Amino acid sequence: MTGIGLYNSLNVYLLIGLALLACGILGVVYRRTLISMLISIELIMNGAGLNLVAFNRFVAPDNAYGMAFTLFIMGIAAAEAAIALAIIILILRRYRHVEGAKLKEMKD
Amino acid sequence: MIFADIIFVIIIFITLGGALMTVLSGSIIYALMGLVTTMFGVAGLYIYLNAPFLAMMQILIYVGAISVLITFAIMLIGPLYKKPKEWSYPLKFILAAVVALFSFFVFAKVILKTQWTVLSKPFAISAKDIGRLLFDRLTFPFELISLVIVVAIIGAVMLSLYSRGEK
Repeated sequence: MTGIGLYNSLNVYLLIGLALLACGILGVVYRRTLISMLISIELIMNGAGLNLVAFNRFVAPDNAYGMAFTLFIMGIAAAEAAIALAIIILILRRYRHVEGAKLKEMKD
Repeated sequence: MIFADIIFVIIIFITLGGALMTVLSGSIIYALMGLVTTMFGVAGLYIYLNAPFLAMMQILIYVGAISVLITFAIMLIGPLYKKPKEWSYPLKFILAAVVALFSFFVFAKVILKTQWTVLSKPFAISAKDIGRLLFDRLTFPFELISLVIVVAIIGAVMLSLYSRGEK
């Protein structure tokens, strides 16, 4: 009745976090609207937090620094979401759209 | 222990399926639902990593705060079915997939090649230990995070006030 113990291996968690990072990069590059890009950035932050907790569990199991920094990541993500959504609403009121590719006033 | 393995594999599929739904779905609200699914999956992974306090915080902060915030923004933006779809021309998708897969395989190679020094000690960090660490050693970053959140909230309020023209 001994399983394969998949949840006791560090590489599994690191690969899941890496898959979240890859999905986030794909979303940031590919999606059109700014809100979708923000959602993809949240995916990347989830992957980073998962990596920190996995390293804390397997590499340094006698302190809690990884967990504390994951809590910091959550606070940073909340602040970043608030300020980014305020900027997105501002862009919507000014230009009447939220597409990232059409915001090229600074590019010209 | 085969039961724990089965549930772990199910949680992995929930997480990765939610991430793929976030990226590949055509509408924003489905992408947000995929993000919520991913967050619940990551909370399950935190429980498997012996960190139930972080799983609780994950559900409270991400699902309870950030998703609601993004939902309100989506509702403020209005009817997106009148606007062009998220799926644009396929060449852009192919290039973005090349970038994402390249980074995935490079970092996967790095992860699988490195010999991590995994310690097989039991891991029993309670919420009390995290609290003691936050208020003993990490007091300055903790206060700095609260300052960052206050500045972000004031900045969001100022931005929405100035955009309306009431200076």
